[in-house]
Amino acid sequence: MPGSARSGRKTPGAGAPPPLTGTAAGAGETGAPTRTGHHNAPIRSPDRCNGPVTAPPDDCLARNEWICGAYLSTRRQVLFDAVVQHLQLTFLSVLIGLIIALPLAVLARRWRWVAGPVLAGTTILYTIPSLAMFSLLLPLYGLSAGLVVAGLVLYSLTLLVRNLLAGLRAVPEETRQAARGLGHGPVRLLLTVELPLALPAAMAGLRIATVSAVSLVTVGAIVGFGGLGNLIYSGMNTYFKAQVLTASVLCVLIAVAADLLLLGVQRLITPWARADRA
Amino acid sequence: MRGRTAAAAALLALTACTAGPSLENRGQVTASPGDSHHLTIGSAGFTESDLLAQIYAQLLNRAGYRTSILTVANRELYEPALESGRIDVVPEYAATFADWLNAKTHGADAKPVGSPDLDATMKALRTLAAPRGLTVLPPGRAVDQNAFAVSAGYARRHGLETLGDLGAAKLKVRLAAGDECVQRPYCAPGLKKVYGIDITGVDPKGVGTTQAKRAVQDGRDQMVLTTTTDATLDLFGLVLLADDRHLQNADYVVPVVNRSRAGSERVARALGRLNGVLTTKDLARLNQQVDAWRRLPADVARTYLKDKGLLK
Repeated sequence: MPGSARSGRKTPGAGAPPPLTGTAAGAGETGAPTRTGHHNAPIRSPDRCNGPVTAPPDDCLARNEWICGAYLSTRRQVLFDAVVQHLQLTFLSVLIGLIIALPLAVLARRWRWVAGPVLAGTTILYTIPSLAMFSLLLPLYGLSAGLVVAGLVLYSLTLLVRNLLAGLRAVPEETRQAARGLGHGPVRLLLTVELPLALPAAMAGLRIATVSAVSLVTVGAIVGFGGLGNLIYSGMNTYFKAQVLTASVLCVLIAVAADLLLLGVQRLITPWARADRA
Repeated sequence: MRGRTAAAAALLALTACTAGPSLENRGQVTASPGDSHHLTIGSAGFTESDLLAQIYAQLLNRAGYRTSILTVANRELYEPALESGRIDVVPEYAATFADWLNAKTHGADAKPVGSPDLDATMKALRTLAAPRGLTVLPPGRAVDQNAFAVSAGYARRHGLETLGDLGAAKLKVRLAAGDECVQRPYCAPGLKKVYGIDITGVDPKGVGTTQAKRAVQDGRDQMVLTTTTDATLDLFGLVLLADDRHLQNADYVVPVVNRSRAGSERVARALGRLNGVLTTKDLARLNQQVDAWRRLPADVARTYLKDKGLLK
């Protein structure tokens, strides 16, 4: 950065540790006991004081506590919007991932030579670091939600394709032959015999892909579309404990809820699996 | 191998149906100054940038624009978006942005164009920004530049108000700063050359970090490098020393707009109302309300603008 002694504040991402932490930490880390005096001290231009914001407050927000009710009440709308964006990004990317993974898995099942390249390709995609992935896709998508969705779709592929393929391959050859014997064509065989039997493995893959998408959405914060990640990212930059904790907990809750939901769906659509276990 | 690349290409093509606008196809220099009804304001994701973005958004709202704010991690990401018109208005810092554009245009080794002289910096900045379809609006009074602080007791004992005083006092000074301070002309070398301050060493604790300020508070270091809009100095019993010989660059807050979407006189007038009002001290106070008191940038901005009569 020629011509600037500043390490990072105005050149964020310049390699320095998040510079703002200093300023914020100065306020936050000094802790509650020593700060009380400052809270009561008059600020420099009291003539400009106006409204509730300018008076130095003494609440859990200003004390920077991990758990803070005032955070929840003042940020209700912000949190709601972030959760909605998080859910949308996750849902869209898993859905599109599934739509792409299904034909890939079927093709890989049908022709053995396709399987190798498809599995290798999707696995390689999975190893691209998420920051790099978003940077690589940036010229294609610009700063948009599409960028984040595209990245997440590519990540979900390896999990979905692998599990779909494992499910399809686990269908016993005798079953397939029996179906053919009954006069099933390839499409009917796929839809009525192979796919239902592949469901347990496929659903396992879908659950992992969904949970991993929930956590990966947060990286979208670098382009402003990261759902709860936006809050975690800005909270980390300013040592905002309540924000980081609340957003992280919500993230975990979304992941657990999504996983349970998919588990429920799996139980509903594969009643035979339950009958077996009983 | 061929199959693998083909598969990857197919995947990219498939997922590309959700594509947004390409980055290269808008914001031509030849286009006349545009006046889009909906404006996107970019924020670089740190507190001051968030605050300024909120202030701009609310001023533009008042002027009849619909606005939204997009927070992006860094300049490398938002500057191209500003050129393309994905983002229309961004709060910037004159000298830093001039140097950044200069490095982007002429390579990383180009001679810096930002300087302590505001007029020269603005001229250089506008020359660099115009070919990219960007218009730099006039700067106001607020400056966020590097600044040096000492403990209040130390300043009192040695009668220090300016960096010039510190140089004249012939004190040995250990400086808490980023490790790059050793080479930067605006840091250790400049302090020695311009002010004659005897810098015995640079304690690499980062720019304005808690550790750096603590070190000065405890007397382990004598001076700390921070910024003019740092509002937490009081908490550490620190005072700023004035840059009386103008060592620091003119990092005045300036709005930069995409000319073809927000280049109108109306936008300039709406944002210009802030210029005579917002001071460096105001900015520090606003930063404090967000960083230390954890108020929402939108609320802090609104209260400030109402307070100043810029918003009803």
